[in-house]
This record gives sequence, C-alpha cells and structure tokens, in this order.
Amino acid sequence: MDTLTRTITIEEAPIAIATLDNNLCFINCSTPWQQEFISPDKEIFGKSFFDVVPSTPRLFRSVLENSFSIDDNIVEEQKHIMPDGSNKWYQWSIKPWKETDGTIGGLIITCTNITKIKRAKDLLIAAENVAKMGGWDLDMITNTIHWSRITKEIHEVPLDYVPCLETGINFYKEGEHREKITELIQKAITKGEEWDIELQIVTAKGKELWVRAKGMPEFVNGKCVRLYGIFQDIDKKKKAEIKNAQIKERLDLATEVANIGIWEYNLLKDELEWNDEMFPLFGVKRKDFKGNFESWKATVHPDDLERCLQEFDMAVSGIKDFKTEFRIVHPDGTVKHIKANAGIFKDDEGKIIKMVGTNWDITEVVNTQLKLNKSEESFQGSFKSSAVGMALVAKDGSWLDVNETLCLSLGYSRKELLQLSFQDITHPQDLEKDLSQLQRLLDGKVNSYQLEKRYFHKKGTIVYVVLTVTAVKDIEGNISHFISQVVDITAKIEAQKKSEEFLELTKSQNNSLLNFAHIVSHNLRSHSSNLSMLSNYLIEEQGEIEKREIETMIVNASESLNETVAHLNEVVQISTEAEGQLQAVCLNEIVKNVEKNISALLQQKKVECQISIDQSIKVKGIHAYLDSVLLNLFTNSVKYSSPNRIPKISIQATKSGNFIILNFRDNGLGINLERHGKKLFGMYKTFHQHEDSKGIGLFITKNQIEAMNGKIEVESAVDKGTLFRITLVAA
Amino acid sequence: MGKIESSCIIDDDPIAIYGIKKSMKEIDFCNTVVVYKNGQDAIDGLNNMVAEGIALPSIILLDLNMPIMDGWEFLDDFIKIPNNNTKAVTIYIISSSIDPRDVIKAQDYSLVSNYILKPIKSADLLRLLSDGSNY
Repeated sequence: MDTLTRTITIEEAPIAIATLDNNLCFINCSTPWQQEFISPDKEIFGKSFFDVVPSTPRLFRSVLENSFSIDDNIVEEQKHIMPDGSNKWYQWSIKPWKETDGTIGGLIITCTNITKIKRAKDLLIAAENVAKMGGWDLDMITNTIHWSRITKEIHEVPLDYVPCLETGINFYKEGEHREKITELIQKAITKGEEWDIELQIVTAKGKELWVRAKGMPEFVNGKCVRLYGIFQDIDKKKKAEIKNAQIKERLDLATEVANIGIWEYNLLKDELEWNDEMFPLFGVKRKDFKGNFESWKATVHPDDLERCLQEFDMAVSGIKDFKTEFRIVHPDGTVKHIKANAGIFKDDEGKIIKMVGTNWDITEVVNTQLKLNKSEESFQGSFKSSAVGMALVAKDGSWLDVNETLCLSLGYSRKELLQLSFQDITHPQDLEKDLSQLQRLLDGKVNSYQLEKRYFHKKGTIVYVVLTVTAVKDIEGNISHFISQVVDITAKIEAQKKSEEFLELTKSQNNSLLNFAHIVSHNLRSHSSNLSMLSNYLIEEQGEIEKREIETMIVNASESLNETVAHLNEVVQISTEAEGQLQAVCLNEIVKNVEKNISALLQQKKVECQISIDQSIKVKGIHAYLDSVLLNLFTNSVKYSSPNRIPKISIQATKSGNFIILNFRDNGLGINLERHGKKLFGMYKTFHQHEDSKGIGLFITKNQIEAMNGKIEVESAVDKGTLFRITLVAA
Repeated sequence: MGKIESSCIIDDDPIAIYGIKKSMKEIDFCNTVVVYKNGQDAIDGLNNMVAEGIALPSIILLDLNMPIMDGWEFLDDFIKIPNNNTKAVTIYIISSSIDPRDVIKAQDYSLVSNYILKPIKSADLLRLLSDGSNY
C-alpha cells in the first residue's frame, strides 16, 4: 500500500524524476521524464537506465564506484550528445533511497533540461567578449567591488586586481567625466536613480578610452545595499561617432552655406525627398511640394526637360551617371541654372531602387561664363579681323599669338612669327626705349604704354609702327602676358617722307625761281639800263670820237645781254631737259674721260691727279651734265690753284645706301665760306681776282646736279683747299 | 651846298661807270672821282687813304652786285675802317636791281642814305648834292 502510494506520487510529479533499483533499472518515472527520454506510450519499467539515457551522466560513475555510498544529494550539469547528434544540457541530481530496513534500495534521479539556460549563458559570455562589455557589482555594506574579466581588461588592470569604489571612480578622466560619474553614483545611492552614460576613463596604462557605464542601485528597506551594472568599451564607436558628428556638422554647414540641395528619390515608391536647401533653390514652398517625380519635372525649363529626362533614363538604366546641368523656372518666372550630380542605389538583385543627388545654383557662374565667352568671342573676333596689327606677347617677348594684319605688316607668316620674339625684329635703335617702357609695365608703374618704333620687315625694309602695349593680369593680379596693338604707319611715314622730299624739291625750285627772278631783275636789267643810257648818250653826243666810243660800248652791252640770255636759256634747258633722261652712268669712266680731255691743261699746270673710283659704281645721271660738272670742277681747281704749291686733285667715290658720294678735293686757294658760302653757287658770283671769273660755272653745275636729283656741298679753308661733295643717286 | 671835293664810285660795270662819270661832268659834281671795281678794292683803297691821312670821299656810290666782294659785304667792312671821318661819308646804293628785297635790305643799313636805281642820271646826282645841303 505504501509502495503504491509512493509510486503514484512519483508518476504525478511535475518534474522529470525517476526511481531506479540497485541494478539501475527503472522502477518508476514521472510523466516529464517519460516525455524527455522515451515515447509516452512505451513502457519504461524494468528498463536499464543506460538504455534510456543516451549517454551516461558522469555522476553515475562516482555513484557506482562508491557502491551507492553517497551521503547526500549530488548535483551536476552535463552536456549530452543525443542519438541524432544534437546537444542537450541536463542538470542531474542523484540521491539513494533506502528500504525500510535501512539498506539502499536504489536511486532517485531528477533531471532538468537546462539546454536553453546554458545556451543563453554561453551567448551572454560570447556577447560580452564580442561587445567588450564587462560587468561590475558593488556591495555597499562591505564596500567591495567585483569586476568581471572584461571590465578588468577594459581598465587594463591584471586579472587579480581588486578595486574599491574610490579607485573605481578615479579611473574616470579627471574633470567633467569624474565629476559626472560621482554625481550619478550619489544620485543612485540617495535617490535610487539608474544611469547610463558615455564617459572617458584613463586606463592603468594611461590610455584614454570612451566607455559606456550603466548602473542600477538595489534597495533594501529604503537603503541602497548594492550597485551593479555593465561597463563597455565604446571607444572606437564613440570616436567614429564624434568624427561623424563633426563631418555631418561640417557637411550641414557646407550645404547650407553653399546652398547645396540634397535630394533622394525612391524609384519604386515614386517618393522624392528634399533637404531644406532645395526649397529656396527651386523656389518651391514646402507646402506645395508633392514629393514625387512630377514635382521635380514641373520645375525644369521646358527647353531642357527632354534632355534631362533622357539623362535620367540613362542614369536609371546604368548607361551614364547623372551629371548634368539644366535650367529651372521659379514660379515667379526667374530662370536659374542648376548643376546636378547623382548616385544610384541598387537592391540585392542589382535593380536600381534609389537615387541620391545634389543640386546647386550655378546661375551666376553660367552668366559670368556667358559674359566671359561673349567678351572672349568679341576679343577673338576683333583680334582676328582687326585692321590694326594685334599680338599676345609673353613676358619674355615671344609672340603667343598674332593676327593676320600684323603678319601682313611684317611680312612673316603666323608660324614664322610665333618662333620669334619682338626683340628679334625690332630696329636696334628702338629696342632700348621699348624695353625700358616694358620694364615700367612689368614693375607696375604703368598699365600700358605707347611709342613709335620701327620693326624690320621680313624683306629687311623698315616698318614704322605706333605700338600700344597693355598688360594682362591673371586672377592673382600678376602680369600674365601683354596685348600689343601695332598700327602700321609705314605708308604714312613714307608719304610724309615723300611730301618732305616734295617740299624740298619745291623749295629748291622756288629758290631757283627766286634766283631767276633776281637774275632777270638785276642782270638783264643792268644790261638794258646800260643800253638805254648809252642810246641816250649816243643821241645827245656831238663829238665823233665820243660817238664811236659809245657805239663800242653799246655793242659790248648787247653782247653781254646776249650772253646773259644764253646762260639763262641754258639753265632753263637744264631744268626742263633732265626730266626722263636719267640713265645709269659709270662714274669712273666719266671722270677719266674728262681728265683725258683736259690733260693738256693739267700737264701745263703740272697738276697731280689721283682718281679712285670703283668701276662698279654707277649713278643715275645724264652723260653730258656729268661731263660738264666735272669739267667745271677740274677747271675751277686749276684756275684757283695756289701759285705756292703743286696743284693736287683727288677724286674718290663711295656708296652710301642708295646714294653715291663723290668727293672732289683740291689744295688750291680755297673759299672764305663764312663770307661767300651763301653766294657760292649763285649766278654771276665770283670770289677771286681772276680774269676768267664769270660767276656762271658753279651756278650751272649746281643746276645740273640738281636736275639729276643730286646735291652739291662744299667745304673749304682759305689757302688750304676746297672739297666739293657731290651726292648722286646710285643706279 | 654845291660841288663836293671828292666822290667815289664802286662798280664792276665799266659802262655804268662811264655813264656816272659823264653825268658828274655835266653837273660839275666834284673835283675828283675815285673808282673801285669791287668791294674789296674799295676797302683796300679807303684804308690806304685813311693811313695816308687823305680825307675820305664825302659821297660813295656803291653798286651791289660785284665779284670778290659785293656791296653788302663792303658795307659790313666799311664800318670797321678805323676813322671817325667815316661818319662824314654819305653812301648811296646804285643798283640795276629792282628786286624789292634789295631795297628793303638797304634800309636796314643806317650808313645807307638812299637807293638809286640805275641808270644814274644827272638829275639823280643833283638831288644828292641838295640832300647833302640839308645834312
């Protein structure tokens, strides 16, 4: 009866419990046991423990070894590998039961499946390790602190380290961190408040570390008896967070300041999100914003819409990044230029689900660019088509670019010019003044300068220009290059020269005319007055001898008049005939020929002649005039030679540019030029007491030379000699 | 003032000299006439007179256009003759030149009393004498 009662009790127990006999065969078991180890419908009675329980608990070994002689209940947790390979944890508790006679009848076994608990604990430890999270526990009564292994590792203290409340607090970084934790602990003790805070500690090794400290108080009878909590190393995370916060702050500031709008578009849901900057950027009020693709599309300028949609499609289909510029129209009609960049986000299957991008206003940039383009265009246009020669010149003087007009002026092709510098083609006499002006420009003393200068044409001729140089500065205000404007005034200068020549010619012709007028008014008149006077005398005179005398004088006066008229005629002929009769004449031949013709005279007067004229020298002249000129000079030299020395004549010719200079030098009486210089080449001017002096030779000579476009000059010293310098045009 | 003691003709034209002399004779212009063929001869001659203490001619008839030294150059040199008596000499320019520039230039010389156009007639010489009386 007793047994029955017992049996029933065991079977109904709410825990897994079983009784075994001395052979370790089941006497009985509870329903939970049956459910744990064997199908509920199977009979367990009489079965061996070892057949029912998959792997024998280690505990049994000691029980068997000690022949059941165990005093008390023994408990052990053990991992069992099930027949299907899974693991289970059981907590075993074994106690012997005794027969009424006191002998051991068998064992009472309870078994608790602790697999879940065990696993949760393992997980906790693993989590603790992974999360670097430690625990701590402070007994307020004994003032002892327990730190878990991880907590000690975080503090970088040895595992046998024993902390107390004070040392624990002192690990917190001095200042706000330590003050904060102290305050929190006090609040917890006095007011029962929990804490969860992120603070910095300084480890035993002196490392600064961000930790998360969490603490909870435990109260008994209104008094705090215990504080416990967790302690976690969040240094990396915290530092990353701080850094992120800084970056975000910076980014927020940047986007706000730069007016960068950020948008995010969900393709699947057709949801468009804008940040605060987007609204003013697009001139859209937040309340009017529908937040879909359409609301963006509505803002785009009609002319740009099609292109934008194409670009959007290309981005969505992954052909091309969405990097574009487009115009938008504000509700008030203002047009803005927007620059847009976007990235795409794909789901696991590679399908594009989201686009995130930026927009910013580049209206000003675009407008500036447009203006710049326009001014650049107009500069290029005027540079190319300018009638003024223009060039961009580097600081070292090399040509960076030249226009067509400049090329034409200088005779070089563009390619040829670009390989030269302005120094290369500047007339050496003008280089220094240009360079000194340029230096002033480089020194910033002036912004531009202008000067007249000469270049050499490719052919070697001189190009006269008015040059204006302006400095061009880069964005930092330093001179980057120069713009040169070159106005070719060669034609003008040549015209000026020509008109000066004309003026000179006119002057000389005018002089000739005046001279002529003087000759007419004086020389002819003196004869006519003589004639009229003598005629009157002849009429009045009675004496025959007197009459004859007067008649003779009349004849002489007539002859003189005739002669003068002949001379004047000659001069007129010289001036009129020379036109168009100039031809190349070999100077040496002429001189030698004249010398030969008067060799008798020269020999008679023992004149020493030295003629040195290169055979190649040819002048534009008239043979007869040159003969006459030289004959006149030779005879003059002989006529006015000094009686005190052997007459010497030296004749030489040199070429100078387009001219031939003939020097005719003698060692004769010389002429007082101070006195007679002005009249030297005048008609009927004589300066020597000489029977042959008629004052006509040099007058004719000068006229002949001038008729050949030449000129005659004289140098002389009394009783030393005379030098006639004749300049003729080279042929 | 009537007849003067001596006069001087400076001219290179023998016909002109003949005419002047003839006219002088007609009106009994002076006792002696000195003739020089150009300015240089005249300067040399007058210098000699000064050196020998002979009084300079009171009237000089000066041609402009002459070889060696013309009338203008003579005037420039005449001032330089070292003798106070030069101030007592009246110089008349006799020229065939009707060039107004010559007439104007003659007025610039304070030494020159008048400009007489050739040919010289006796009436011209008479006027000189009466000029001299006003002197």
